[in-house]
Amino acid sequence: MKRQPLILTLRSLLLASVFLSSHLWAQSSTPGSVDNDPLISSLKTELERSRQKLQLDNEKKPYFVQYTVTDVQSLSAEAVFGALRRENQTHIRFLRVEVRVGDYKRDSSFGNGDGVSDLVPLDDDPIAIRHQIWLATDTAYKRALEILTEKEARLKQIELEYQVDDFAKASPVVSVSPLLKLDFGGEEGRKKYRAMLESASSLYRNDAKIQTFSASYDFNVLNLYLLNSEGSLVRNGREYYSFSINAATQAPDGMRIDRGRGFAAAKIGELLDVTHLNTEAEKIIASLAALRSAPVVEDQYQGPVLFSPDAAADVFHDLVGNNALGRKPNLGSPARTGTEYANYFHSRVLPEFINIVDDPGMATFNGKTLLGHYDVDEEGVKAQAVTIIDKGKLANYLLGRSPIRDFPESNGHGRSSNGGSPSPAMSNLVVKASETMSRADLEKKLIEMCKDRGLAFGYFVQTLGGINSPRLLYKVYVKDGHRELVRGARFGDLDRRTLRSDLAAVGNDAELDNRATGIPMSIITPSILIDEMEVRRDNTTKEKLPQYGPPPLGTIATTKTGN
Amino acid sequence: MTKQRTLLILNFFLLTTLFGDAVDKNDDKDTPTKPTHAAASQMVLDTMQAELDRGRTELAKADPSPYFISYTVNDRDSLTIAGSQGTILNSQNNRSRFADVSMRIGTPDLDNTHNESRPSALTSGSLPLVDDKDAIARVLWQLTEREYRKSSRSYENVKTSKKVRAKEEDESSDFSKEQPSRDISPEKTPLTLEQKKWEARVRKLSATFRNYVDIERSVLVLEVEDGSRYFVSTEGSRIESGGHSARIMALATSRAVDGMELLRVETFSAESPDKLPSDAEIIAKIKKMGEDLAALKKAPIAEPFSGPSMLSGRAAAVFFHEVLGHRLEGQRQRGDEEGQTFTKRVNQEVLPTFLSVADDPTRTEVNGTQLSGAYKFDDEGMPSRPVQVIKDGVLKEFLMSRMPVKNFSQSNGHGRNQPGLMAVGRQGNLIVTSTKSIKDSEVRTRLIEEVKKAGKPYGLLFDDIQGGFTLTQRALPQAFQVLPIMVYRVYADGRPDELVRGVDIVGTPLTALTRIEITGDKPEVFNGICGAESGSVPVSAVAPSMLFSEIEVQRKQQSHELPPILPPPGFDPLPGNKNAKEPSKKSTGGEQ
Repeated sequence: MKRQPLILTLRSLLLASVFLSSHLWAQSSTPGSVDNDPLISSLKTELERSRQKLQLDNEKKPYFVQYTVTDVQSLSAEAVFGALRRENQTHIRFLRVEVRVGDYKRDSSFGNGDGVSDLVPLDDDPIAIRHQIWLATDTAYKRALEILTEKEARLKQIELEYQVDDFAKASPVVSVSPLLKLDFGGEEGRKKYRAMLESASSLYRNDAKIQTFSASYDFNVLNLYLLNSEGSLVRNGREYYSFSINAATQAPDGMRIDRGRGFAAAKIGELLDVTHLNTEAEKIIASLAALRSAPVVEDQYQGPVLFSPDAAADVFHDLVGNNALGRKPNLGSPARTGTEYANYFHSRVLPEFINIVDDPGMATFNGKTLLGHYDVDEEGVKAQAVTIIDKGKLANYLLGRSPIRDFPESNGHGRSSNGGSPSPAMSNLVVKASETMSRADLEKKLIEMCKDRGLAFGYFVQTLGGINSPRLLYKVYVKDGHRELVRGARFGDLDRRTLRSDLAAVGNDAELDNRATGIPMSIITPSILIDEMEVRRDNTTKEKLPQYGPPPLGTIATTKTGN
Repeated sequence: MTKQRTLLILNFFLLTTLFGDAVDKNDDKDTPTKPTHAAASQMVLDTMQAELDRGRTELAKADPSPYFISYTVNDRDSLTIAGSQGTILNSQNNRSRFADVSMRIGTPDLDNTHNESRPSALTSGSLPLVDDKDAIARVLWQLTEREYRKSSRSYENVKTSKKVRAKEEDESSDFSKEQPSRDISPEKTPLTLEQKKWEARVRKLSATFRNYVDIERSVLVLEVEDGSRYFVSTEGSRIESGGHSARIMALATSRAVDGMELLRVETFSAESPDKLPSDAEIIAKIKKMGEDLAALKKAPIAEPFSGPSMLSGRAAAVFFHEVLGHRLEGQRQRGDEEGQTFTKRVNQEVLPTFLSVADDPTRTEVNGTQLSGAYKFDDEGMPSRPVQVIKDGVLKEFLMSRMPVKNFSQSNGHGRNQPGLMAVGRQGNLIVTSTKSIKDSEVRTRLIEEVKKAGKPYGLLFDDIQGGFTLTQRALPQAFQVLPIMVYRVYADGRPDELVRGVDIVGTPLTALTRIEITGDKPEVFNGICGAESGSVPVSAVAPSMLFSEIEVQRKQQSHELPPILPPPGFDPLPGNKNAKEPSKKSTGGEQ
């Protein structure tokens, strides 16, 4: 759930001033005049040198060279039981060099054969920066030559059913944005955020049954640089900020109950403030207490289930978004993609009243900035809105520069996190319906459906912890509509087919779910009503309760220093 | 199937320095915890003690109940700066407080750690950095709870498998009985981590590598650490120990035209940064690394050879650490997987009688050089002491943790581990001494005499050994391989010495060690980081130069990746490149 903390680093004042000066310069710059950015000019020089001179004996020269540098500034911290446990500040620059030998139809991309990663210096010293680029380029080129030979040998042994290009042509993009700087308000800000974590995580004191309680934040600002031999020159920024709370307890019968909630934003100013973070922490504690005393789901249930927008977001992410990724299958495979949607192009995968678009160009929703917004993707291709589902039918895939059958071009969805190798990914996944109803009507409909089938109750799921593991699940009783929280349930058969055949109705209550884990993205979806699915008992082994209780709390709040 | 990889292996060096788990804090502001050091350590120790006592009382009511619990907390404030070519790649200031909770269930004769279940005695996690007693106690409670589940489950398994398995060869108990220790180290001067100052130093030192056209990759890492360790156990031990360390590691690589990878590493360690060698001294060593790599690049490949050879003191120190030291670790004498080279040779001659070997963690320096492997208490809370493992060539003792082996039921203060791993017997300061020594220059003369006597055209001089690995497992050949870096042919006919590359020393320990003829009279120190099953620990090895009547070498395995096609950026005369230089005379050039 949590992104690994990035590697370390606090920049010295000296470097900060270098950074600041290039920042100021960048604001006054216009696209195309970026020679004053030492990193860009170093990348340019080395790109030109490689393009002109890089050739081993009589071997093929590269036909494509691309350099990306991801400059990451981050600050993260965690507090447990009201006390700071970790605080990291990082500044690091990841370099990724891609060298392709052959041509667009058939080249050296094969497995992970098209990229070499390293670090580049944080100091803007051209020779030292170029030294790293030079070594990575040399390795990438030699590896590409070996891989192309290996690939050609492999291709002689297999019959290709379809001819799909290895690399999509793309028009060069020149797009230079001002550099972004991680600004958390200096030492005062750091103290403020630390205090927020300590305050929220100290609420464990209100409930003796809480076994684990921690709060963390993770702030990231990335400046991406991309230059390639086709003439693209991109410099733009990404930023994402998040808080999260993790808690665990045990029910009297030993069942483990965990809850983790993340609150992500694309602007530091859109994050929760101290009051709201505490409120969320209190809500989690209250929900754990409620879950502890909630009855365990015993009998298997077959019937309608209502999903909140939050739970529906997980469903569309896992069952639609992930399957619409245009990931190239293994060499020689006749499949279009490596996903469950491989053979469903133009087929109906959802009811006709559903449309789903992935739109990186969308910047805000209800006044909140979207985490999945960008102008140019991590392969230097302009972002495009892609209609994945058109009236229930699979209309398109999300594509990077690695073509799949019938889809020769990228649609600007080649994404990566923190300088890794790009691959197709979602940005802003937006679920829309031509027929919707209010939340209240959806709840009425749930009860009606249960009544029709002679069921005493239906289910409403508020949050999921994994697509088949409901966290907050309620029985909704037919006789009086009252809700009862239950625990220990699993969904038996929620899959792609359920969405096609059993998605009965959609709400008009769309909500935004910003996600900062992995590749940042947003999901906008309303509630959904599934007309039939299975809810059954989860058979995970229960652990014993602790042999002995937690240490007694000090009566006076312990004095803390440092904030 | 693990190899013992020891003494500064490249991967360790790069990975742990650049990608270690980090806990940062600002350098120019107060750290999260800054009451006085004494108050902080008193609070941590008291909290540990209280929670340990509570756990013991509470778990005594459980079935099964533990007979031993210990808490270790490593409180560490460190700075790691990695630079390359006069710039900073990464600079981190880490603060961490890491707890190891150890528990034993059963009896010392048979407990949950028996045989392969050893890791069941340990659960680890991070504690709050601020001095919040409630929070620290609660995390310790969580870890103790988790460890109790783990060790009680393991103890059930141990009992079951004991019933169905044949009698073991070594029936020693699982945990030695020892006296508890109580010791609070005198308050040390807190170290100020001057990040900016040392970043400037890393820039300055690493810039030296820019002058060498043959150097491909170069990294210079400065590590400064200020650490405290707290230990409490249900046996009544209560120990606080701590200290500072500073280390500079410089690494540079090159490749010969045939693709052979060439590597030079230099390390400098001291108690604190101000005690590290001067810039001038370090730069001289870095220059030597650059020159060595250029020379190695041109050097002929060594032929397989067996004959008289000389090891410099530094090379001999590494050789003894690898070939002898690892095999004298207590746990290697026990268990069905181990080769047990020396197990049955106690009180027998294993070295020439003029040689003795001690491992002495109480020793802090030799001839003015500080030793990295010194400590007052080992990681199981046992006081350190000198251990005479070999006296006048006769094997006397092993390096013991609290895991007994046949005929050795007690620890001798060598139980060591990196936080988060179970301690085993490890080396500290391995010191080789000789009663048959001559001046170093005379050793060389003797080498030439031996070469002539053997009718060989030349002998080999091993000036530097980078490290190596030792296989001690039974399923594998009981061989060692060390990785010599600077090896010269010393000709019988008086020609100048000739540097060769691509040499590996091979052989079996019992035969190799008996071929030492005589030693030099000047002990040399090798300080490094040794990796084995209980993690990375700082060690030293000390030995004089040595003459071997025979050493066998073989060709080293090598990659065939060619050197870079284009010259390094600073050496490529691009139009408008003001920094461009012509390749130096020494160079064989990158261009083909």
